[in-house]
Amino acid sequence: MGEKWVLMKTAQTPTNIAVIKYWGKRDETLILPVNDSISVTLDPAHLCTTTTVAVSPAFQQDRMWLNGKEISLSGGRYQNCLREIRKRAREVEDKEKGIKIEKEDWEKLHLHIASYNNFPTAAGLASSAAGFACLVFALAKLMNVEEDESQLSAIARQGSGSACRSLFGGFVKWIMGKEEDGSDSLAVQLVDEKHWDDLFIIIAVVSSRQKETSSTSGMRESVETSLLLQHRAKEVVPKRTLQMEEAIKNRDFASFAKLTCADSNQFHAVCLDTSPPIFYMNDTSHRIISHVEKWNRSEGSPQVAYTFDAGPNAVLIARDRKAAAQLLKRLLFSFPPNSDADLDSYIIGDKTILKEAGVEGMKDVEALSPPPENGAAQKCPGDVNYFICTRPGKGPILLSNENVGLLDPETGLPK
Amino acid sequence: MGEKWVLMKTAQTPTNIAVIKYWGKRDETLILPVNDSISVTLDPAHLCTTTTVAVSPAFQQDRMWLNGKEISLSGGRYQNCLREIRKRAREVEDKEKGIKIEKKDWEKLHLHIASYNNFPTAAGLASSAAGFACLVFALAKLMNVEEDESQLSAIARQGSGSACRSLFGGFVKWIMGKEEDGSDSLAVQLVDEKHWDDLFIVIAVVSSRQKETSSTSGMRESVETSLLLQHRAKEVVPKRTVQMEEAIKSRDFASFAKLTCADSNQFHAVCLDTSPPIFYMNDTSHRIISHVEKWNRSEGSPQVAYTFDAGPNAVLIARNRKAAAQLLQRLLFSFPPKSDTDLDSYIIGDKTILQDAGLEGMRDVEALSPPPENGSAQKYPGDVNYFICTRPGKGPILLSNENLALLDPETGLPK
Repeated sequence: MGEKWVLMKTAQTPTNIAVIKYWGKRDETLILPVNDSISVTLDPAHLCTTTTVAVSPAFQQDRMWLNGKEISLSGGRYQNCLREIRKRAREVEDKEKGIKIEKEDWEKLHLHIASYNNFPTAAGLASSAAGFACLVFALAKLMNVEEDESQLSAIARQGSGSACRSLFGGFVKWIMGKEEDGSDSLAVQLVDEKHWDDLFIIIAVVSSRQKETSSTSGMRESVETSLLLQHRAKEVVPKRTLQMEEAIKNRDFASFAKLTCADSNQFHAVCLDTSPPIFYMNDTSHRIISHVEKWNRSEGSPQVAYTFDAGPNAVLIARDRKAAAQLLKRLLFSFPPNSDADLDSYIIGDKTILKEAGVEGMKDVEALSPPPENGAAQKCPGDVNYFICTRPGKGPILLSNENVGLLDPETGLPK
Repeated sequence: MGEKWVLMKTAQTPTNIAVIKYWGKRDETLILPVNDSISVTLDPAHLCTTTTVAVSPAFQQDRMWLNGKEISLSGGRYQNCLREIRKRAREVEDKEKGIKIEKKDWEKLHLHIASYNNFPTAAGLASSAAGFACLVFALAKLMNVEEDESQLSAIARQGSGSACRSLFGGFVKWIMGKEEDGSDSLAVQLVDEKHWDDLFIVIAVVSSRQKETSSTSGMRESVETSLLLQHRAKEVVPKRTVQMEEAIKSRDFASFAKLTCADSNQFHAVCLDTSPPIFYMNDTSHRIISHVEKWNRSEGSPQVAYTFDAGPNAVLIARNRKAAAQLLQRLLFSFPPKSDTDLDSYIIGDKTILQDAGLEGMRDVEALSPPPENGSAQKYPGDVNYFICTRPGKGPILLSNENLALLDPETGLPK
């Protein structure tokens, strides 16, 4: 035929951090969890995935590039997402370009996909959550899919469980569902990103010398071998989920912090109860927890909640900017950079907090005193690679500016 | 009156390591646990407490010296043990010395007690278990108490829970009991130290930079805050205890290892599930576990079981001398001593194993190759302070040699 038109859409999605954790599937293929989970969406200004999807009769096969490198789409997870979204494709017309795609044309057309994370994969910051959410969202836009975000989340879920929670901003709940076919296992928004505006988040990207156990194999081993996991899923999480929703709706930080820390620790407890045991947190992670616990207890009421995913990175959620500034000082005292680093690359993301902390350069870091509640605190330079400052953020959006597209609008190949 | 006679007895007791863990009390005063526990007694030749108890009308008050330093006996635990053992005192006659103590005399007489551990308290090797067991055993001998070891264990239990298990050699079970008064919460011997003669134990005393949470307060916090603890106590441990007894009786090392490692990990999981979370194991502990898990899996059948108490020290139980020798080679490769140490102080206890391992000096350590199953294993000099080699051992004994007494037979004061 020789048709050479290319239709493209570019979307951007945030990543998310679970405060009530997902760990364990009741169905490996459909990715159905053994319990509900709740997450906070992080501001895509600092951490996000950008994905351009393109369709053209000239494309010979489905292809995808991730962070500039071509990857295979043959795996079950990609195939599931592509199949499910294609099922829901509808007629698309671009009058300007004189292109019309009928519903039944989609199954014969091939896609080019380019995706890019603005944060390193090695940072252990759940890039697949943002990635699959973006893929599904972008394709839904391209294919004029009617389904809403919750229904799209059920598709993203089949790429990566936690991806379903990246279809919304603010605080999000992934309802575990009851159906065998997973049709009711999807994400809903609890509150949007403006609801709890005060919260400020600091992520400590911790040095890790070893390759982590992947979440997928780790949680399968936990389901198979941990005698505590089922009790957690059946008895603990249902109650905690209710309490957490309540805390979020009421902006009750004390309850939120207690639940968040407890659930993070219990998730890691289940990992330890697995055979072979899985250790995601290391001595630095433990030190951070100890510091936060000490500070919270000395203040009488929690200032900071901590939570850790399947890696040593600490996600610290401060109750407000004032607490965040004090937290940052404590963190910089205990975890200064190695001597040759500059502050500008040691603290990235929302840097406005530096001013409130009175820390504008390395001299200010060196001048910090030990915190009052922990006069014997040691310095462990180099234990943290860098810090990312961010806030709760919004859900996926379409980018209309064609310059941000990752594929060339003529060739459909990566720019 | 002016009587100046002194009657003395000296006893020696072993320490023990739990393979099914005790963690959590249902009664703080009587020290009654929430589940059964099972332990292996370690050879007192390498790790033991020696206690001399003396009685004399010339003594003005009960006094005790621990490792040469006088300590207070006013605490509840010491008072409970002294009261309970005194209740059971009977008539004692030493015809040679012309001394006769009537049953009713005991309540008016005072005691001097001197106790000495041949291993450092800082090694975190449960010195209070051996200590209280020795105290009770020695006093029972001095006071001609009729009760057997199990009944004595119920008294030692009130000094320190795990002390009750040090009244026997071999493998011992502390039955949790049902009675409110704790009369049925006591230790019984499962098998003696000859039953499973092949086992060889290597303890890695790991460098710890921080003060550990005490077992007493730690387990109380776990009972109060861990939502997984009760499930462990009610559902998991009862079944595991039965399986463990079976494995010990049958000398089924594969099952023994699986249960031992699982129970150690679950105990630490409950510690992590506590608020605030308790981290007893550190990165070095985790590394040791990873190495052992890798080796066990590469051999197809477990060679070594690991277990950790309330601290970072690893207790490694090898199935036989051959496995122990190979374990030692692996440990010394990954955890060599710092350069100025000599092997003789780096490996203490039963050093015969060094010959089996072909390691007679530091040159042999430096010449070690990485293990076949872990070719990229790193070296961490200084992560381990030293190793103690030992074997399952016998229970408490009376020492007849007066030279070994810790108190002067004339003054009743420490030598």
